[in-house]
Amino acid sequence: MANNSALFAQTLTDWTQGTFLAPVPLWVWAMVSALVVIYLLALPFGGIATYIERKIAADMQDRIGPNRVGPLGLFQFAADAVKMLSKEDYVPPAGDKFLFNIAPVLVVVGSCAGFVALPLGQYLVAGDVNIGVFYILAVTTLIAPGILLGSWASENKWSLLGGLRSAAQIVSYEIPVALSILPVILISGSLQVGEIVKQQGWNPDLPIAANAHFWNVVHNPFTVFAFFILFVGGLAETNRIPFDLPEAESELVSGFNTEFSGMRFGLYALGEFVDVFVMCAMLAALYLGGWQLPFLELDKFWITLPSGLIALIHVGVFLVKTLLLVFVVMWLRWTLPRLRVDQLMGLCWKGMVPLALFNVLGTAIWVWAFKGQSMIQVAMGLFSGGGSSH
Amino acid sequence: MSNGIKLILLLAEILTVGSALVVAVNPNILYSAVFLLFSFLGVAVMFLFAGADFLAATQVVVYVGGVTILILFAIMLTQWMYRLKLRDVGSKFIVPAVVLALGLVPMLHRGLTDLARMVKAAPPEKMSEFAASPKTMEIGKALLGSHVLPFEAITILLLGALVGAVWLARPKS
Amino acid sequence: METGYISAFWFIVIAAVTVPLMLGVGALLRPKSIPTKKGTQAYECGEDPIGSAWVKFNIRFYVVAIIFIIFDVEVAAVLPAATLYKDAVLNGNGAWVFAELFLFIALLVLGLIYCWVRGDLEWVKGVTKFAPKK
Repeated sequence: MANNSALFAQTLTDWTQGTFLAPVPLWVWAMVSALVVIYLLALPFGGIATYIERKIAADMQDRIGPNRVGPLGLFQFAADAVKMLSKEDYVPPAGDKFLFNIAPVLVVVGSCAGFVALPLGQYLVAGDVNIGVFYILAVTTLIAPGILLGSWASENKWSLLGGLRSAAQIVSYEIPVALSILPVILISGSLQVGEIVKQQGWNPDLPIAANAHFWNVVHNPFTVFAFFILFVGGLAETNRIPFDLPEAESELVSGFNTEFSGMRFGLYALGEFVDVFVMCAMLAALYLGGWQLPFLELDKFWITLPSGLIALIHVGVFLVKTLLLVFVVMWLRWTLPRLRVDQLMGLCWKGMVPLALFNVLGTAIWVWAFKGQSMIQVAMGLFSGGGSSH
Repeated sequence: MSNGIKLILLLAEILTVGSALVVAVNPNILYSAVFLLFSFLGVAVMFLFAGADFLAATQVVVYVGGVTILILFAIMLTQWMYRLKLRDVGSKFIVPAVVLALGLVPMLHRGLTDLARMVKAAPPEKMSEFAASPKTMEIGKALLGSHVLPFEAITILLLGALVGAVWLARPKS
Repeated sequence: METGYISAFWFIVIAAVTVPLMLGVGALLRPKSIPTKKGTQAYECGEDPIGSAWVKFNIRFYVVAIIFIIFDVEVAAVLPAATLYKDAVLNGNGAWVFAELFLFIALLVLGLIYCWVRGDLEWVKGVTKFAPKK
């Protein structure tokens, strides 16, 4: 099957054929790829993101920010990790120990497992499962029960209020998020993220009709809105400002993680950042062409390059797109005030859900009317059609 | 199926049945709800083994993300309920429940390994239905083809459920 | 089962193991904790907490969860049909699939409008109606 050759584990198995590593079975390579992605990409990203967020915050508020640990304060996150590890481990004696312990597990699993279906490059994906997008939606739902149970187990009024808000918010915004993914599925006819990304290339040498359409975000006017709804919904799903009511400092102290100290809090924060990364990466893959570099993909230019370099460029392009979105998320934190809870629910059910439904129908009509062609293809078709008639 | 895969299947079965057992006998109703979540997850893994990955994801999205949250909300809504210790049911039926649960694991295991073998043994032209991407499409084809009436009936059912549920939850004056 | 799910299995296992691993490393590093009376209280900004934190809360959270489940089932039911849509359009069967999708979504929009009109989507409900007299 062509799909399986795109897996990390399968690729590694194929590469090691004929070497001394040949007897290593597939599942070991799957485990290795999971270790690499979680410990070398997901968790370090969570750590470094805290540093970057503080630096960005400082720049926007005309401060210096962390600058003591290492050059430019770069090792701040390592110092933070050491600090968190050496903090007192506190389990509320009046609370519920079992639930208090499993809550961070649910949050970390829910955020890290989303990485499986994210294609970092054309042949770099831990597991490009058929139901791709739906798989990511499914595993990230584990976060809501985790936060709710953790907050309840804390036996703290701030925590419970924050946890309830968080659960209600995450489940509400899941609907606009899922509905904003639907246009992409209507356009590409697949749930597989790798396939969706592949269809977003653009090769100037091919005739328009034979070409793949360009990035989904500019496929038609409705997908532009769908992109923004998905982004805003993602902010709410990950409890980011302006939707950070679950941990609103000014009213709930720290919200659902008030009683979580040291590394337990660290894992919650890490889980949140990893979730932000997964959300932004999904957005980049679904709407911004993933690892595709505009206008150069599939071109003769690529054939001359070694495959390793192409893979590196793909990963780089994908990471740049994702991190730009992460930067916007951090930027918004210092730009927008927090919503009130009734505004939050009103925005979701009265604003984003109807708009998302409208986008789904609009995209369906567009795909039907223009035989699945994108705005650019339609415009260029008109242009070239007009040219040939003269 | 290799032995490693069989082991994962067995773990999923034990997770499902064991969690279901805890749901039934645990006196703390909140713990019951939490273990229901794990039971749902185990069922999702078993769906995967049956080759129904779309159903597995639906199971997780709807049951873990929706129904569990709903049950947790329902429990937390009623203040006296999570202080309540449910004793009598658990003590009386614990032995038959454990026996039944232990009996269920081999049955599930046998059924799912057989199913997996059938998937493997399926003729090549049918293999695509199980193996690659068209599986979700097959469901779509069925929903729009032979099962179009149930598909529309679902809509009416969902509409009715929505109206009924919000009517029940509405404050009565 | 697809090979991709083996990766998913390992991701879940390794992510789950990470939590006790990190807490274990912390347990080795940190000094022995000496619990104090104030330290083990629920944190309410230094005030002594009054009563249990496990209080009853508003039914509106429940309503949100119910509406969510209905819409979630809808999305799950529409997804398989949506994956077919592009091929159906290119093969000239677009009208059939579109009609199905439209009917399905329209009926749920009807439900949403019902909830909206009857005020079930309002977060602050019945303030004037149920306000205590005088």
